[in-house]
Amino acid sequence: MTRLPTRHDEEWRWADLRHADAFAGTPAPANDSLPDAEPHWLDLPGERRLFAAGHAIDRATETPEADPQAPQHPLADLARVAATAGTRIALADGEDGGTVQILHIGTTGSAHGVTRLMLGAGARLTLIESFADDDHDHWLNHRLDAELGAGASLTRIVRLRTSHGLVSERAYVTLGPDARFTQLAVASANGSARSEVLVRHDGAGAHADVNGILLGDGAAALDALTRLEHRVPDTTSGQVWRLVAAGKSQLSVSGGVNVARHAQKTDAEQSLKALVLKRTASANLKPELEIFADDVKCAHGCTVGELDRAGLFYLQSRGIPPHEAEALLTRAFVADALSAIADPALREALDTETRLWLEQRT
Amino acid sequence: MSATLPEVRNAEASAAVDELSTYKWGFATDIEQDFAPKGLSEDTVRFISAKKNEPEWMLEWRLKAYRLWLTMPMPDWAKLRIPPIDYQDAYYYAAPRTKPTLASLDELDPEIRRTYEKLGIPIEEQKVLAGVEGARKVAVDAVFDSVSVATTFREELKRAGVIFLSISEAIREYPDLIRKHLGSVVPVRDNYFACLNAAVFSDGTFVLVPKGVRCPMELSTYFRINAENTGQFERTLIVAEEGAYVSYLEGCTAPMRDENQLHAAVVELVAEADAEIKYSTVQNWYPGDKDGKGGIYNFVTKRALCRGARSKVSWTQVETGSAITWKYPSCVLAGEDSVGEFYSVAVTNNYQQADTGTKMIHLGKGTKSTIISKGISAGKSDNSYRGLVRVGPSAEGARNFTQCDSLLIGDQSGAHTIPYIEVKNPSAQIEHEATTSKISEDQKFYAMQRGLSDEEAVALIVNGFCKEVLQQLPMEFAVEAQKLLGISLEGSVG
Repeated sequence: MTRLPTRHDEEWRWADLRHADAFAGTPAPANDSLPDAEPHWLDLPGERRLFAAGHAIDRATETPEADPQAPQHPLADLARVAATAGTRIALADGEDGGTVQILHIGTTGSAHGVTRLMLGAGARLTLIESFADDDHDHWLNHRLDAELGAGASLTRIVRLRTSHGLVSERAYVTLGPDARFTQLAVASANGSARSEVLVRHDGAGAHADVNGILLGDGAAALDALTRLEHRVPDTTSGQVWRLVAAGKSQLSVSGGVNVARHAQKTDAEQSLKALVLKRTASANLKPELEIFADDVKCAHGCTVGELDRAGLFYLQSRGIPPHEAEALLTRAFVADALSAIADPALREALDTETRLWLEQRT
Repeated sequence: MSATLPEVRNAEASAAVDELSTYKWGFATDIEQDFAPKGLSEDTVRFISAKKNEPEWMLEWRLKAYRLWLTMPMPDWAKLRIPPIDYQDAYYYAAPRTKPTLASLDELDPEIRRTYEKLGIPIEEQKVLAGVEGARKVAVDAVFDSVSVATTFREELKRAGVIFLSISEAIREYPDLIRKHLGSVVPVRDNYFACLNAAVFSDGTFVLVPKGVRCPMELSTYFRINAENTGQFERTLIVAEEGAYVSYLEGCTAPMRDENQLHAAVVELVAEADAEIKYSTVQNWYPGDKDGKGGIYNFVTKRALCRGARSKVSWTQVETGSAITWKYPSCVLAGEDSVGEFYSVAVTNNYQQADTGTKMIHLGKGTKSTIISKGISAGKSDNSYRGLVRVGPSAEGARNFTQCDSLLIGDQSGAHTIPYIEVKNPSAQIEHEATTSKISEDQKFYAMQRGLSDEEAVALIVNGFCKEVLQQLPMEFAVEAQKLLGISLEGSVG
């Protein structure tokens, strides 16, 4: 087995992998009692697939091949080797795959899975992958490999909702010419989560939006890492991350943009912002740029702080109670990350979810 | 025809040198130096310590560092390709000066000569830098900064109560002060190169500015007699007591060649309450040739401890030299309302590599820091900004503003930004901005249609890009640094 990374490894300095260490050698037992999945679905039409403890529920088990081109990665490689179930979706040219929800529920021990997507030219898909647990310590480890053909479009929502244990998931996405990839990770967990994404722009005109909202309470340790590789000329990307750290949580985002030599006219933007609500909470940001071409536009902005006092005062002067004013401003703060979602129903559902979380904390 | 300004300057310099040759402070003392054999072992460390007549505790300190160093791995996290270094294939004490002695300046590499001329360095100083036979061995600045500086500075500093000595002298004369402060900011075990430095540091500078004193002049290593060859493992310790102020200049714009490829210096600054230290560096070590052969490895640990309330430390650096630069001047902001500043210009050309930046560690209430970093990459070079801003839970109301701008010249170079932000206090306000750009054709066209050449236009635009940093430098330094930027980028356009 490959060695599990530690905090001494630069890319894992803020990761909390205690549960991976604890459960790496203990696969989850086949489940006899089905955990309650209902609260974890988003109320949207479309196909639903449920996995509990790494096994498909109510459907035949398949374990798709991972993308053989994907670079090595300690956890993703483990997911490939140890996967007990997964999902494979292949869309023909021009096919619309609609909305598919996949829910993974961790029980005890470790469970590994693979999702493989292949979108032909001009194909479209909205994929909602949710990770949750049944209040037991566990480790869910997942990988997603997606290939987008010319002009294909993939919207992926990653919901990290674990109350215990650890979810680690990594997406590897390759973009053909004019392909569009939109990802929003929403973590509202009290447990630990590691969300990674590597996007390779392989065709001119490709665009990726990789956004995230990390909402941490309790002892949550939520850690995201992005790498957007612009490998050919004329590709673009945007990254908007909003973090709200409450309780004793530690929230981290390491956002990366790599522009290869000759990948001229790349336009890549990063905006990472964090709100720290309690002195016991912490936020870590690392907006990284690696640039080997000269005719590019790469900017990043990054702030950490508390809510704007002038804004709070203004709202209060209009008769809004302090508590509500705070909630309103915090909601506006995270809303930036939602705006990349084009589908109004989906955006609304996610907005409601974050609003409910914020109302309980602020 | 009246004499041109450089001619006048040269005449003045020559006169000053003649005068100095009869002046006792003017000479570097010609001590018969023996040197430690090649290689690094406990014996080398003992040899260095014995040569310097160090007390027992100092030897112990060095040996402890050496033994620890043996157990440490070389750091590999920087975005640098460092060829393997053979630590046994180097001299650690008074390496023989392999600089060839030249009969006259005509024998000097015309390339270097041209650079000297562009920088406007007087002929006599050029001779000293190039090692021309018969050139007076005088501390460089004493040559053109006139006799008065050399003669009066010791007197003046003494009157003010400022201690300004080589660190070897200070270990003998002020052992208590050294014991108290040495390693208090950069501990022996801090990192691989700092640990090596602790074991074998050859010399360096000690400055103590007593309570309430504003150091009457800007201190520079040149003013210290015998500073000519402080060597590859330099150790600097500056202590500013309550309410004191000192501005310290290090380095020089003239290209410095040195046979010692590895340089691992340590600089420690301590600022007590209301004290201020301004530390400026211009680094122009030999960067290697156009094909990336040779050049200095510059692995430096610089850190300041703002211990007292309202203390302030400001680092300004212009880094144009060295084949590889690994350097992160940092501030530990422990005192309430203490302030840390970092202004940096890093230029890389040809095959140079630089991984440089800063760390601002906010521990005290109301601490503030500012980071302005300008990276310019040309040729086939790689230039990385790596910085950390950390706010501890007790740093109520901490503020940081960071701006890192990268400028790429040509499509073969790399510019990288790796900032770390770690915040554990809700009231902190941290802002970070970064941009990457190239010199636009419009900008260049505008400058050139005003009559500037291609290279002049680039130099002008680059200077504008770096203005915020250059204006932090003391006046004379700033002027030279501006010229230096232009020279460093020669051959990178067109």
